[in-house]
Amino acid sequence: MSKIVRRTFTAGAAASVLSLGLPAAAQQQTVKIGVIYPLSGNAASAGTHAKIAAELGADLINNGNPELAKLLPLAKGGGLPGLKGAKIELVIADNQGTPAAGQNQTLRLITQEKVAAVMGSYQSGITQTASAVAEKYGIPFLTPESTAADLTERGFKWFFRTTPIATNFAKAYSDFLKEQKAAGQKTDKIAIVYENTEYGKSTFTAIADLFAKEGHTVGLQVPYSANSTDVQPQVLQLKEKNPDVVIFISYTSDAILYAKTMKELNWKPAILMADDAGFNDAAFVKAMGSQVEGLISRSAFAPGKPGSIAAICDELYKKKSGGDGLDDGSARGLQGFLVLADAINRAGSTDPAKIREALVATDMGPEQMVAGYNGVKFDSKGQNTLGSSLIIQMRNGQYVPVWPKAKATAELILPYKGWPQ
Amino acid sequence: MNARRLIQLALLVAVLIYPFLTLESPVYQRLGALVLLAAIGASAWNIVGGYAGQVSVGHAVFFGIGAYSAVVAFVHADLPPIVGAPLGMLLSVGVAAVIGVPTLRLSGHYFSMATIAVGELVRVLSSTSDWLGGAQGLGGPAMPRTVFDLSFMSAMPYYYIFLAVLAFLLGMTWWIERGRMGFYLRAIKDSERAARSLGVSAGRYKLYAYMLSAAFTSLAGSLYLCMFGFIDPESGFGILLSVKMVVMAALGGAGQLFGPLVGALILVPVEELSNSLLGGEGAGITFVVYGAIIVIIARFLPAGLLSLFERRPTAEKPAVSTANPASGHAD
Repeated sequence: MSKIVRRTFTAGAAASVLSLGLPAAAQQQTVKIGVIYPLSGNAASAGTHAKIAAELGADLINNGNPELAKLLPLAKGGGLPGLKGAKIELVIADNQGTPAAGQNQTLRLITQEKVAAVMGSYQSGITQTASAVAEKYGIPFLTPESTAADLTERGFKWFFRTTPIATNFAKAYSDFLKEQKAAGQKTDKIAIVYENTEYGKSTFTAIADLFAKEGHTVGLQVPYSANSTDVQPQVLQLKEKNPDVVIFISYTSDAILYAKTMKELNWKPAILMADDAGFNDAAFVKAMGSQVEGLISRSAFAPGKPGSIAAICDELYKKKSGGDGLDDGSARGLQGFLVLADAINRAGSTDPAKIREALVATDMGPEQMVAGYNGVKFDSKGQNTLGSSLIIQMRNGQYVPVWPKAKATAELILPYKGWPQ
Repeated sequence: MNARRLIQLALLVAVLIYPFLTLESPVYQRLGALVLLAAIGASAWNIVGGYAGQVSVGHAVFFGIGAYSAVVAFVHADLPPIVGAPLGMLLSVGVAAVIGVPTLRLSGHYFSMATIAVGELVRVLSSTSDWLGGAQGLGGPAMPRTVFDLSFMSAMPYYYIFLAVLAFLLGMTWWIERGRMGFYLRAIKDSERAARSLGVSAGRYKLYAYMLSAAFTSLAGSLYLCMFGFIDPESGFGILLSVKMVVMAALGGAGQLFGPLVGALILVPVEELSNSLLGGEGAGITFVVYGAIIVIIARFLPAGLLSLFERRPTAEKPAVSTANPASGHAD
């Protein structure tokens, strides 16, 4: 108790001395941002990568990067110009992969560390409990990566989400297919194969609903259990109906199984698509990459052309992480952090209400994006309306961005080739 | 009034006014509430695990039932979550009877293993149920609609609610401890065969203890839901929850009235403060501390921290131990 009181007193005394004696002291001001991720527990790897992404973001703003400064004004270095060069100080907390620790730590960040805003917290359930505290205290909470649809349906005033969610992915697939149809590809018969738990079902529903509205016909749906050890019945079903387009929503081991079985039964559709997840897992790419030439998937990130924001950040991230480049998760994390920093800069203040106003007014274009979004602009619920995905295609065992054209580094090649003949 | 009484009185006053001492620090105020909530769970476990000596490592089943009952009352019936608490308690008593009848026949480690199996089974099942929100989990009221939603910004109301529940639970445990059932349970713990031979209906009393324990563990789960506003299979039925109840009771002293509270008073702050101080480094140090504590108790204090204080009265009054030589060494 006495310790806390004393600390506040010293801080207050120091502040008054500084403000009296040194008018330039305002430049020493820092803006505290709370960063809460799973740094232990079973999502620790993803959480650690997101943490490094936030650290890279803070580093860019505080110390700058001359190459990036030409593209991103905030990367000039010297802190936030809107706050007279205030530096960003990250206060990092571990949510331990539990909603309870997420809530306890967010309370600490807000009441003890007095952060101006909080970002996190990877798992949707933890983002739910953590953001509830921020809402009660009136502190902006930005999630760069939690995708559960209901997070933005709670009527919260202080909650913002930069990541696209399933409906946005569905929109990207729909637009992509429309373009292929216009270019003369057959896309009349569409089949969706999905694993039958939360992820698969919710993604399937989002795609099927949107496709119905946009005039695509889903002629066949094949739910299955991701733990299956044999998917011959499902592939035989596909072979019999022979759809033009198949979309897979799968985890890793089942994705590998499908790729193998399709080769065994010698069947391939004209367009084979996958919804990220298992098909983007390094394990899948390593095991089956050479057998699925032309497979189409999505990602929020692709390094893009050399000299682009994404490519430069990818290089910087590699240096910071000691090898790993940006990926779907860490790129979204870095993007979320930059959006928050930009809002604080425009707010010109650490007052949470002003930061919230600035977040509401956010309007960033695709040219400022690290992730493959069309920009960032929040709707009244705090959801980014410009969140989008890149469509990527498997080429010689590696994914490359092929759509939309502005961000593509390679031409789209159809039909699907699969295994070497 | 002797010194011991004075200390007890001071402790009681400290417990009663703690939220006012921490008005300026919501984190410490909340820590008080978290300690009490953990103490409710561990004290409930203590009835069957401590007094009756049936070491359940699957008590999260009841915690989860309580938490899910509360959230289901909100999600599916649009009621304040706390309305689900009595239903959860009833359901837990029923489930305890169903699990207890076959498993309480097992002795020692076999019972513990059976409870782990049941706990894991329930966790997996809950994650496949759409009605229970599947693997994603379910959230309580986003913003409090009325005071009955028990969703407060300050931890003070939680502190006093938890304190009242804990006081009731400990009072009841104290009453049981002094009564016939308390003697029966201790007899069963020492030697079930001997207790049976003296006419104690061991199966029945173990089951009573198990059902009572389940009811209060479930209540702890419902209170957790009210405070945190979200439940998923891992935080409702995860095995770590069950283990924490056991470790807290064992640290303070299993089978002792205040044992679980003492355990919670040490472990919850250790967990929260080590995470606050060191968590940002990402070293997961909290669980290293947890593991070390388990090893140390098992090696040096198998009867718990309270056993340190238990020995004193016997040492101070050697007359008693000469009159009754066995009691001095009853360890």
